[in-house]
Amino acid sequence: MSDNGLLELRDVGKVFGDTVALSPTSLAIEEGSFVAIVGPSGCGKSTLFNVIAGLLRPDSGEVVLAEQRVTGATGHVGYMLQKDLLVPWRTVEDNITMAARLTRRVTAEDRSEARRIATQYGLGDFLRHYPSALSGGMRQRVAFMRTLVTHQQLLLLDEPFGALDAQTRLEMQQWLLQVWRETGRTVLFITHDVDESIFLSDRVLVMSPRPGRIVADFKNPLARPRDIATLTDPEFTRLKSQIMGLLHGGSA
Amino acid sequence: MTNPPSTGRRSRLAKKYAFQIGRDSNGAPSAKKGGIGRTLARNVGIPFLSLVLLMLVWQGIVVGFHIAPYIAPRPMQAFQAITGDWVTLWPLVLGTIRETVYGFVVGALLGVFLGVIMAKVPFLQRMVYPVLVLSQAVPIIALAAPLVLILGFSVTPKVVIVAWIVFFPVTVNVLDGLSHVDQDLMNLAKVYGASRWRTFFQIEIPATTTPMFSGLKIGATYAVTGAIIGELAASDGSSLALYQEHANSNLNTAAVYGTTMLMTAIGISWFLLVVGTEVLVTPWQRRSVARRPIWRRRESALTAAGVEK
Repeated sequence: MSDNGLLELRDVGKVFGDTVALSPTSLAIEEGSFVAIVGPSGCGKSTLFNVIAGLLRPDSGEVVLAEQRVTGATGHVGYMLQKDLLVPWRTVEDNITMAARLTRRVTAEDRSEARRIATQYGLGDFLRHYPSALSGGMRQRVAFMRTLVTHQQLLLLDEPFGALDAQTRLEMQQWLLQVWRETGRTVLFITHDVDESIFLSDRVLVMSPRPGRIVADFKNPLARPRDIATLTDPEFTRLKSQIMGLLHGGSA
Repeated sequence: MTNPPSTGRRSRLAKKYAFQIGRDSNGAPSAKKGGIGRTLARNVGIPFLSLVLLMLVWQGIVVGFHIAPYIAPRPMQAFQAITGDWVTLWPLVLGTIRETVYGFVVGALLGVFLGVIMAKVPFLQRMVYPVLVLSQAVPIIALAAPLVLILGFSVTPKVVIVAWIVFFPVTVNVLDGLSHVDQDLMNLAKVYGASRWRTFFQIEIPATTTPMFSGLKIGATYAVTGAIIGELAASDGSSLALYQEHANSNLNTAAVYGTTMLMTAIGISWFLLVVGTEVLVTPWQRRSVARRPIWRRRESALTAAGVEK
């Protein structure tokens, strides 16, 4: 593990009944990096996330975050799913401050931070709107802001753009890269979209099912900042065919 | 959407809301067309019209089939029967309202309480649920006599009967609502490190508001029926139900219909009050933008008009 390692998994494994959801896995994530995890459904991506987030206690191994053992504990990561999980009875501003509201009293600073961040990232005019008044892309932005203001260094994003249309998804990917660059967080990003995993990440982990495990760990050679042209870069295509080969066996 | 410096935030936003409410570009539930006048016409006018039509049908049947007044009076005769004896009727109406309201409040509180503890303690759910179903299978009239023996002729047995009817739909709906809170949302709260207590008040309770009001609305429509059953079984002299019985035995059919109208009016009013409360406490179901608290509204109206700053 390098000096600036943030997250470390040591032989973390999880079994559900007869199914090995995650065979013992070791992994180190550097602080400030953007790591994508790609794999078919049932490969243990979400199990991996839930173990890191503390929702699942692994059968074996340790989760170490910033040199603290956090195995089975919660309250130490930002977490976002494909479902935005905004509560319909709260305004955008109050949804952004939801994490604070769930753990302590919401302060004036929490509110002003929510307003500042929403304004900075294009939702300043919607602070008093209810989520039902927002489009899918806007809702996911709010969900991401809610994740950001938890001030957790490590953000776990589980297919956050999976339910969006292709156009909106591309916009959201670029937006996410901008926010990531400006806030210096560490992102673990689950997706089953190979293009997305390459476009966003510094590193792509490929997972495979039965038993769930990491089968490859690619360093992403593409330069930043990235834009639409990145998607047709020869390096992009090369990495994509390598990943596709792994995901689809001999058929690639 | 440019981002001017955050001075005068309130006035800036107030101005923006002013045009955003009508113009919603995101496929969102935008404000319905028309002003307050049209909304009133739609929500009050049409139901009122259907009531008038109902009266006309009643009138038409009675007149058209030459029905004698002691069999079925015309609407106006029923109406006159109650206005003519209003001095006697008014205290009785107040009594029925009191039983209905007390019973409803007790039943609603009990219903929410039972729903919550059953959702939280699976053991209690298994143990209590059959008893609750049993309580509703018992014919309520059969209950009235023992209740009078235990509680006498006071307002209490009526309150108990109303509560007995009201709590059940509330409990069932609250229990259902609490057991269907999005598990991903609960997990999200857990990931944030939220306590069970805060998760309960910040997520589970608000998420259960809509089903809870479904239960309360069903309860509200039954509450008056409960009060009348209680009055029939457990009155020592003066009550709306007994007044009606008395009118019936005197072949004063107009008064029988009139008191029925009164009972119905109490039920409808109470139902509307519950619906109104729901509208007030769940603004997100109709609005796309939150309103400011009342104590800030005047202020923001001024800033919107550009008075401040």
